[in-house]
Amino acid sequence: MIKLAKVSKFFKTKAGKKYILKDVSMILPSDKNIGILGRNGTGKSTIMRMLGQIEFPNKGNITSDKSFSWPLGLSGGFVGNMTGKANVKFVCRLYGKSEKEITEIINYVKDFSELDDYFDMPIKTYSSGMRSRLSFGLSLSFNFDYLLIDETLSVGDAKFRKKSQMALIKKIETCKVLLVSHDMGTLKDICDSGIVVHNGNMEYFEDINVAIEEYKMINK
Amino acid sequence: MVKRSSFKIFLAVQNALFLRELSMRFSSGRIGIFWTFFEPFFQIMVFILIKLLIFNSGDNHFDFAVFLALNFTAFNMFKNIVMKSTGAFKANKALFIYKQVKPIDTIIARTMVEIFITGIIILIFLLIGFYFDFDMVVDDLSMVGFGFLWLMVFAFAFALVVAVFNVFVDSIGKLISFFMTALMFTSAVFYPIEALPLELQHWLMYNPVAHFMEIIHGFYFEALDDRFVSYGYIFLWTIILLYMGLWLYVKLEKRIISI
Repeated sequence: MIKLAKVSKFFKTKAGKKYILKDVSMILPSDKNIGILGRNGTGKSTIMRMLGQIEFPNKGNITSDKSFSWPLGLSGGFVGNMTGKANVKFVCRLYGKSEKEITEIINYVKDFSELDDYFDMPIKTYSSGMRSRLSFGLSLSFNFDYLLIDETLSVGDAKFRKKSQMALIKKIETCKVLLVSHDMGTLKDICDSGIVVHNGNMEYFEDINVAIEEYKMINK
Repeated sequence: MVKRSSFKIFLAVQNALFLRELSMRFSSGRIGIFWTFFEPFFQIMVFILIKLLIFNSGDNHFDFAVFLALNFTAFNMFKNIVMKSTGAFKANKALFIYKQVKPIDTIIARTMVEIFITGIIILIFLLIGFYFDFDMVVDDLSMVGFGFLWLMVFAFAFALVVAVFNVFVDSIGKLISFFMTALMFTSAVFYPIEALPLELQHWLMYNPVAHFMEIIHGFYFEALDDRFVSYGYIFLWTIILLYMGLWLYVKLEKRIISI
């Protein structure tokens, strides 16, 4: 369960406060994979970051007894001049993994991400697709209650996209997903319900298809 | 996911950050490593030369080379903790995506790395000292250690204040290296306070770092003492800086995370 209590979030711009959420209260159920929809710039990623507790509301609060992954996005939490392997090791240590577990995770991620030689090269030599492969593979190795995924599924070549979607479908047997995407197909495949973010408000829909219809209305 | 206690999380984060910082320090190119360990030798040589050539006196009631090694080790530790922490928030921005990494963790980790490097430098000096038979007899080892420990806390507090300011005021990072050079000349690093004219002594003792240097070499050498040190004065400095740093940090943590 994720509880939003009177949450307001805004950014200050020269033209005044730009609200992403304005006084929103809501309870999101735990047993659903939720897609987050909205036009560019409405604050989907910011909401995701707030759920991951690395961005905070200006008013109100968001509480949950669940664990969240870091938001898997294009920018990725990696250090440019360290190798892919060193970055994986670093994240494992952050989550307090033992040396034995770290070795297992490294092997898994190396295998999954298909980076081959690049795995031992600095991240700054990676393309954005390669970065998200690493980030996604790594997140699959941990047991979070929620995976926060921000568009990462839509990068990479067709083969890898298919592979990561398969892996994700397998993963959501044991955990739930909050997914930001503009790809309606992916949303339908993975999510049960949806949130539409629009004009400083967010609305929850039991059925992802209804959410998609609503989103299409807004987009007209 | 198994719930971990917050202290366990803190330790895991520190472990990860420490190893990362260390490997970055040592993989950032050979010049970097070389300079880390060569800098104190360079400083010592320069000041021995200055003393011999300009003041033309090699005599002292303590070993001047050992005096310089001791002081520069302590001062460099202070300087590096502050300098490396100044940019720590911005340099580690990418890591705040993991919610267990708090910005202050990066300062703690960098402080730990500097302390670790200081430890290695002390070891190198000891080996050289024994090999070349320098007179390294310590008057009161526990007080010297106490001086170092206190200086670490002071440096951390100072570093925290500077780091928080550096996020919101861009020019601080550039000013700090100039400030450190000025501090080196006024902190009793290559002279004891007692060797200065009376008028100057009074003024220099407003500088808290000079007090730490006086504690450290005052208890190291039989021939020197801590009569210029005001423990209350540096205690006040430490408390005020620590309080100010933590207060500012707590107020601004959320803004620092999303820089």
